[in-house]
Amino acid sequence: MINWEKFLNIDRRWLYLLIAVVVIVPFFIRMGLPVVPSDEVRSIYNLVDSLGPDNAIFIGWDFDPGTEAENQPMGVAVLRHALDRHVPVFITAVSPLGQGLAEQGAASVFDTRIPGNFVYVPWAEWEPFRAAGYVGRDSLESAWKAAGNSLPEGARGWVFEGVDFALLGYLPYFGLVVLGMGTSIATQYPTDAYGNNLREMPMLRAHKNLREIDLAVTLAGSTACMYWVVYGTSRVGLPVAFGVTAVMATDYYPYIQSGQIVGMMGGLRGAAEYEVLEHEGGHTETTGKAYRGMDVQSLAHILIILFVILGNIAYFAGGFHKKTALKSGR
Amino acid sequence: MKRTVPMMIAMIGGIIMMIQYFIPHQVSQDVFNYYTEWAPLVGSFALVLGVGSLTRVHIHKIRAKAPNWPYSYAVLIPLYLIPVFAFFLPASIGGGTGKPSVFDFMYSRVQIPIQATMFSMLAFYIASAAFRAFRAKSALATILLVTAIIVMLAQVPIGDLFGRWLPDTGLWILRFPNLAAKRAIELGVGFGMLATCLKIIFGVERGWLGGAGE
Repeated sequence: MINWEKFLNIDRRWLYLLIAVVVIVPFFIRMGLPVVPSDEVRSIYNLVDSLGPDNAIFIGWDFDPGTEAENQPMGVAVLRHALDRHVPVFITAVSPLGQGLAEQGAASVFDTRIPGNFVYVPWAEWEPFRAAGYVGRDSLESAWKAAGNSLPEGARGWVFEGVDFALLGYLPYFGLVVLGMGTSIATQYPTDAYGNNLREMPMLRAHKNLREIDLAVTLAGSTACMYWVVYGTSRVGLPVAFGVTAVMATDYYPYIQSGQIVGMMGGLRGAAEYEVLEHEGGHTETTGKAYRGMDVQSLAHILIILFVILGNIAYFAGGFHKKTALKSGR
Repeated sequence: MKRTVPMMIAMIGGIIMMIQYFIPHQVSQDVFNYYTEWAPLVGSFALVLGVGSLTRVHIHKIRAKAPNWPYSYAVLIPLYLIPVFAFFLPASIGGGTGKPSVFDFMYSRVQIPIQATMFSMLAFYIASAAFRAFRAKSALATILLVTAIIVMLAQVPIGDLFGRWLPDTGLWILRFPNLAAKRAIELGVGFGMLATCLKIIFGVERGWLGGAGE
């Protein structure tokens, strides 16, 4: 005879232990479950894939470390894709912590010890080429190569700061910042996060305000993503895509249906879908952290569903639905 | 006076910004540009107030030996010490914001792991709550429970192993019933915000003034 009351009052530390096991084990034993991209993610990917050096996008690192596990892989995937297409990328952040995470995300794409990454050329490093008049991407790259620079083995290309990439960083009152960038990006960000003059950067000269930007991908763990829609899309027609945590994703389906946002990456699954598309499109050698995390998430979801089912079986089999209260356990 | 002047500023500012939105003229645009440049500057003063208020509260807790008062040191010491390291001390003793520095260490090795840990702990609490609290006590609770299980399985690749119908059903739930409910809520919130904004602009709602002058 099963003692259902005892079963329901099981020490919760056993539940915690089970969760810990299913979260840790898949990191060592890969399941490699297939991830099928959804239309919401595919639409973002297709838009980025249709852009080139004459376009530009914003990536808003609008999250804090709490949601890093879900949001960071999205940012890294979109940044990697855009750089591979030579699409200039401006990076902003709603919070100071977001700027630090953006730097970490960018650093992971510029780490040339890992094959498939990019070589980052800081603004000051290519100053002589700028002075000689090489500011167009193709001419700059040709001159850079002619000067004896070569790509390390496995690297996918160079990323010139100010031409391909600019970290604008954090500014307070970000709603106002987006509003202001609708008129002029440089008035809001006279310098980038490293103090370089933004007005001198070729990518800013070609894209002076948000009307000249082709997409803003905001990665958020809060309603910060709405700044881009309220002040960007509705005011200057900026195309916006969301990368939000899974728990938030349900809130933003109305914006997809109304056409206010291009698409949405929801949680780690959304990031994994983008990684799969990127890999299939030949922009990366392998899938990234989000795809790996899908095994963990799959097992954790199964375990939680199992807990729900077992909890309900015990609840009804023990006849507790007829009682007003259960004795509480630990 | 303490109430009238702020209310007048809110009213005039609110009406100007409302009208400005609908006037496509250079003057109107200049007003808007001035506003977007000035507002963050004015708002920055809130930082001074915030730091001052936080300091006062925690000093009071330490002096009064209020419950958990030692934790107030954990707030105050980093609050003042990290900016000192970041802005005033030379890199040779760990100052500055570059790498390596005390500022970078506190950010990368303390703040990020702490925040990530706090959020990660949710998984354990959700697991425990799922076992103890998520019950099919009524028809509505059962619908919620079944829907949650379908959406949870649809969100992970292992759900595909049950057949395409499962992820498709999960997406259908998100794209239609969820969308309809969310839109209704959003509309309600939107109208509520509009009404509140108008009440603030026209001085009907005065809660934002606090208790000053009373």
